[in-house]
Amino acid sequence: MRTRVVISGLGTALAGVSGPGALLGAGAPAAGPDPVSTLRGPGLRYKDRATKLALCAAERALRDAGLLDADGAVSDGSEKDGSGADRPDFGVVVSTNWGNVDTVCDTSATIRERGYAATSPMLLPNTASNVTASWVAITHGLRGANVTLCNGPTSGLDAVHWARNLIASGRLTRALVIGVEPVNAPVERLVGGAGDEGVPLLDGAVALVAEAEEAVLARGGRSLAAVGPYARRSDLGAAVSEVRRHETAPPGLWYLPEPPLGAVAPARPDQGSVPTHDLSARFGRCSGALGVLQCVAATAELVRTGHTSVLASAGHGTGPGRQGTGDDAAAALLLLSSSASGGAP
Amino acid sequence: MSVLITGMGAVTSVGAGVDDTFDALCAGRSGVAELRGFDRTKFRARHAYEIDDRPAPGADVPLRATGWLLDAVAAALRDAELPEDLAGVPVLVGTTLRELRSVELGWCEAAPFDPAELHFGTALRERFGADSTYTVANACSASLYALGLGADLLALGEADTVVVAGVDTITESTYGLLDRVYREAPESVRPFDRDRRGMLQGDGAAAVVLRRESGEYGTRAHARVRGVGLNCDAYHPSAPDSASIERAMREAYRRAGVKAGDIDLVLLHGTGTPLNDEAEAVALRTVLSGASRSPRMTAIKSMIGHTAGASGLHSLITAVQALRSGRVPPTLGLELPIEEVADFRLSREPATDPELRLAQVDSFGFGGLNAVAVVERMA
Repeated sequence: MRTRVVISGLGTALAGVSGPGALLGAGAPAAGPDPVSTLRGPGLRYKDRATKLALCAAERALRDAGLLDADGAVSDGSEKDGSGADRPDFGVVVSTNWGNVDTVCDTSATIRERGYAATSPMLLPNTASNVTASWVAITHGLRGANVTLCNGPTSGLDAVHWARNLIASGRLTRALVIGVEPVNAPVERLVGGAGDEGVPLLDGAVALVAEAEEAVLARGGRSLAAVGPYARRSDLGAAVSEVRRHETAPPGLWYLPEPPLGAVAPARPDQGSVPTHDLSARFGRCSGALGVLQCVAATAELVRTGHTSVLASAGHGTGPGRQGTGDDAAAALLLLSSSASGGAP
Repeated sequence: MSVLITGMGAVTSVGAGVDDTFDALCAGRSGVAELRGFDRTKFRARHAYEIDDRPAPGADVPLRATGWLLDAVAAALRDAELPEDLAGVPVLVGTTLRELRSVELGWCEAAPFDPAELHFGTALRERFGADSTYTVANACSASLYALGLGADLLALGEADTVVVAGVDTITESTYGLLDRVYREAPESVRPFDRDRRGMLQGDGAAAVVLRRESGEYGTRAHARVRGVGLNCDAYHPSAPDSASIERAMREAYRRAGVKAGDIDLVLLHGTGTPLNDEAEAVALRTVLSGASRSPRMTAIKSMIGHTAGASGLHSLITAVQALRSGRVPPTLGLELPIEEVADFRLSREPATDPELRLAQVDSFGFGGLNAVAVVERMA
């Protein structure tokens, strides 16, 4: 039987948002300090904004899951029985579309203006799009499989899917899943160039800890929600139908995709009597962070309300992705209450 | 569970197909040439392994990487005798730099570029109707990492067929930063040679079709993927950790159900970078210690450059062709091997060995991302 995967910790790094519970409110977030202002330590100068945001959200999710000890080191309690602090079964999955666009644009512009010698060699790793996931792994000693998905509008839900697969295939016991997008001039130009001028962009990160259910139980952790069915399909309706194939009761809430980049927003899908929520209306265009943001919000919603399930969806998939025709595909994922999953309360 | 490779496609600086590329590699032909893509006055380095399909000298255009990817996937489907219809078939694309060259052209030259095309799913949907696509940005181990993820999908029963691909093109930013990092600019990639100066990038794409093992496909399969090990050093953003690489190798053997001494051929990652070559050699020496014989080894970046996210699959496809043909490409430019590989069977001359059965493929990337695959010749 397939390993059941549950969510055991949540973290946010969004200005004006105090934590996962605050994602559920309405209206624009209140003004607040930049979350990265809490970061200390060497090497910050050469970390890009996406990496700094991700490090903040990651630390909060690990702490929320009860996986950090008093010294801030990752600990699942097994150190006490002498099995050591090695983390070969703890991985990282990051979703981001615009994460390192700033490094690439700024460096190429510097080279054209002043030549290669004017660049900083410290920025070389930042040109590879996996830099954020690597820094998270280095910071917390997470030596398991480490994956970065830059997969367009569905990327965040895809990241949760791959974290689950890595656990189900026995490669990992637990994974830190992070969705992050930074705002800077190259990102604004790139996204604005798709006809999105004036549309606010999310500048932040969210994170969750996904674990094999038996691993959470073994360490006495909390199972907040279970990762249910996932599908990626050519259009939203097909993806939603697939994940709801075996469901008899409607979800308690449906998180809708954000509008396609540069395209006319498609008609809202028929949601029946299910209440819907578009997180991008409150937080701005979330791109690769959206699916993880939805899962973090959905988990908080399940804990708060006692719903049986919450539906997350990203990408409309109404076309091959060219301007005016929509996204390349759609993804849907059901989050189930921990009691429905049989997990610990 | 092992899976079958039933189709292969590749594009490199030395060939526009799998066979062209392998013949060139076995002949010791290099794709290195004077830099053609960028303004040479801005760099000290002068060489790269480019696919020069730009419309005119100095006139770069967006989406060249996407074009190679589509060519490689189409070739792999043809080879697997499958139609160009990937609806419902997972496609995993490993890449270091995605379409970031197009982003550079947009930022510096205002070249038109739709950000929806930064991930490869957009083009794969348009060309093949693919709707289950994943752009896996796992640095220079990306396509071999994707191979592991794709094999997992088959093992978990989530698909019967998976396409795994890799693609990269040279970006101005990475080329310039590499130039900034090395003490002297390399003129070619010389893996494991004492006089190696560092890595030069290569353009290219590769793709394979994977199918769950069954009698139906066994007759026309090229090789069997026995196991893929994946891990992360969690150590340094650019310096590799040989102990972690060793763990990835042992994980691949464990999943494949083989011992280090069973390996007949190793396709080395071999970037020609001092730290990388040394870490890989130390890890290999450790896992092979006690083995009764040393496997043959080769490093093809000496001829196609570092094709980054595609490099793992380029090595994998070369390994499969070596298993099938008994021909082993040379490691070009290897004059004086470093001490760590002194007793390895690594040669600058092509070799012939019809007894090859099991091959190990190494692929490592920035951030300490390690992927090691074990592939087996069909009986």
